[in-house]
Amino acid sequence: MPTNPSMAAAIVGAAESNKIGYIEEGTTATMLHIEAIKNACELVGIKPSEIEGIGAPGQASFLAEYLGIHPKWIDTTAVGGCSFLMHVHHAMAAINAGIIDIAVVSHGESGYSARKNRNRGTFRAGEGDPWNNRSWFEAPYGVAGPPSYYSHAFTRHMRQYGSTQEDFAQIAVTTRDWATLNPRAVMHSKETHPAGGKITVDDVMNSRMISWPLKLLDCCLVTDHGGAVVVASAERARSFRTKPVWIAGAAESQSHSMMLEMDDFTATSAAASGARAYAMAGMGPREMELAMIYDSFTVTAGITAEMLGLTKRGEGPSLWEGGKAGPGGSGIPVNTNGGGLSFSHSGMYGMMLLVESYRQLAGMAEDGIHGLPGKQTGAKSAVVNGTGGTLSVTGTLVLVSDD
Amino acid sequence: MADYNKPIPDPDPYTTGPFWEGGKQGKFMLPRCTDCNRAHFYPRNLCPFCHSSRIEWFEASGEGFIHTFAVQHRAFGGWADDVPFVTAYIDLKEGDRIFTVLRGVDATKPESIQLGAPVKVEWDKATDEVSIPFWRVVG
Repeated sequence: MPTNPSMAAAIVGAAESNKIGYIEEGTTATMLHIEAIKNACELVGIKPSEIEGIGAPGQASFLAEYLGIHPKWIDTTAVGGCSFLMHVHHAMAAINAGIIDIAVVSHGESGYSARKNRNRGTFRAGEGDPWNNRSWFEAPYGVAGPPSYYSHAFTRHMRQYGSTQEDFAQIAVTTRDWATLNPRAVMHSKETHPAGGKITVDDVMNSRMISWPLKLLDCCLVTDHGGAVVVASAERARSFRTKPVWIAGAAESQSHSMMLEMDDFTATSAAASGARAYAMAGMGPREMELAMIYDSFTVTAGITAEMLGLTKRGEGPSLWEGGKAGPGGSGIPVNTNGGGLSFSHSGMYGMMLLVESYRQLAGMAEDGIHGLPGKQTGAKSAVVNGTGGTLSVTGTLVLVSDD
Repeated sequence: MADYNKPIPDPDPYTTGPFWEGGKQGKFMLPRCTDCNRAHFYPRNLCPFCHSSRIEWFEASGEGFIHTFAVQHRAFGGWADDVPFVTAYIDLKEGDRIFTVLRGVDATKPESIQLGAPVKVEWDKATDEVSIPFWRVVG
C-alpha cells in the first residue's frame, strides 16, 4: 500500500560551485556541476561513490558517467528552472518506495559564458525540429526570449486587477536589499557590480525598457552557476554531521507549455502544486515562516505569491510592499539570497531556491561567505516554489527543520 | 513580398496543412471537432477538449479580440528594425487563442491599447508557399 511520503526524506546538505556569477575564465557547465556535487558531498561527509541516485535536467546520465558512479535512480526531467524541485520531489518518492537512500540533485549552467562563447565548441543552437508549434505560431512574431513572453502576463494582471508597474518594482527593490547581505550576490554592492547595492522604485521605473511593462530591473540576471543538494532517507539523514531539513510536502503541476496555451494569464499551476504540497505537509500558507519564490521577473514572483496563498488574488506585490518581505521586515521574509533578480540566475534558477532554503532552515545563512549579519531568519518552515518555461510548469516544496 | 526578412514558418503538410493552404487564399481556417463541435488552435490531430480524433476544417470569421499584449523594445533579425512593436494574444471569435504582432496600434502609447478591442486578420505573403497571419485593430 502507498504511504504518505511526508517527512520520509530530507535535504541534508547544499552547496554551490567554487565560482558563481559572471565568470570570465576557467569554467564550463560540467565543471560547475561537478564542483557543486563535490562541495555538497564534502559538507555532508559522504563520498560521491555513496550516491545512489542522481537528478539533473537532461544531464543526469552524463554526470553519473563523469563521476564514475552507477546510479539506481536517474532523473533527467527538464522542464525549465523548476526542474530541480521536481528532482527532489521524485527523489523523495523513490526514497519512500525503498528504491534508494541517498540522491544528489545537481545544476551547472553557463548562462553568461554561453553568450560569450557561443561560437566555440561544437554545439550550435537553433537546430531543433522546425516542425513544431512554437516555430509556426509564436517564433514568427518577433519574440526574443522569456521577457518578451512574460510581459503579456504583467499587462493582463495590471488591467485585470488595477496593479501598477510601481507595485511590482517594489519586489525588485526589496529583493536587492537581501542581496546586500549576500557577499556572493552579483548585485551585492558597487564592489561586486557597478550597478550593485540598494535601488529604489524610481531606479526600476527608469531602467531600460525591455518588453513593456517589463524593464531591465524587473528582469533576472543571466549568470554562470552551479549548485547541488543531497537528499537522504529519514534514517540516513540523522546519521550525517549536517542538519536535516525535512521534505514535509512536495508536488508539481503544469498548466501549459507554450504561452499560447496559457488559459489565465494571471494564474499559474503553483496554485495546484502549492495546494498539494501544503496538503501533504498538513500545513498551510499561514504557517510558513520563509518563502523562496522563483523571481525570473518581478511579475513571476508577484503572481506566484498569490498562487501560494501568501496574498489575495491580484495583490501579489503587497507581500513586498514597503520592504515587508525584506531584511528586518514585518512580514514573511522572501528570497533571502537576493533572488534571481539580484543574486544569480543562470537560466534555471530552481537550485538557488533549494540551496538558500537549506541554509536558512539549517541555520547556515549567515556564515560570512554566503550571508552577512541580518540575513539569517528564524524560519523553521519554508514554502519553496519554482516556475519553468513561460509560466508553464511549477514545483512546490514545503520544508521544515527540527524543533 | 519577395523581400520578407523575418522568420518564416516551415509548415508540415499534416496537422497544419489546411491552415497554410487557406492563408494563401486569404481564408482563416480553423480545425473543429465533429464530436464536441469546439474549434481549437493550434491545430492538432486530436481534440484537446474531448480527445476525439474526428477533426474537420472550416473557414472561420477571421475576427477576434485582444486578450493581452506587450510592447517589444528588444528584438533580433528582421524584427530589430521594427522596435517598438506590439505583440498580442488574440481571443478568436470561434474560441481559443492565437498569437500575433498587432497592427493599427501606437506602440509608444501602450496605455491607449484596450483589452477586448476587436481585431481582424490580414495575411502577409512571405513566400509563394507561406503567408503569415497578422491582426489589426478595427473600428
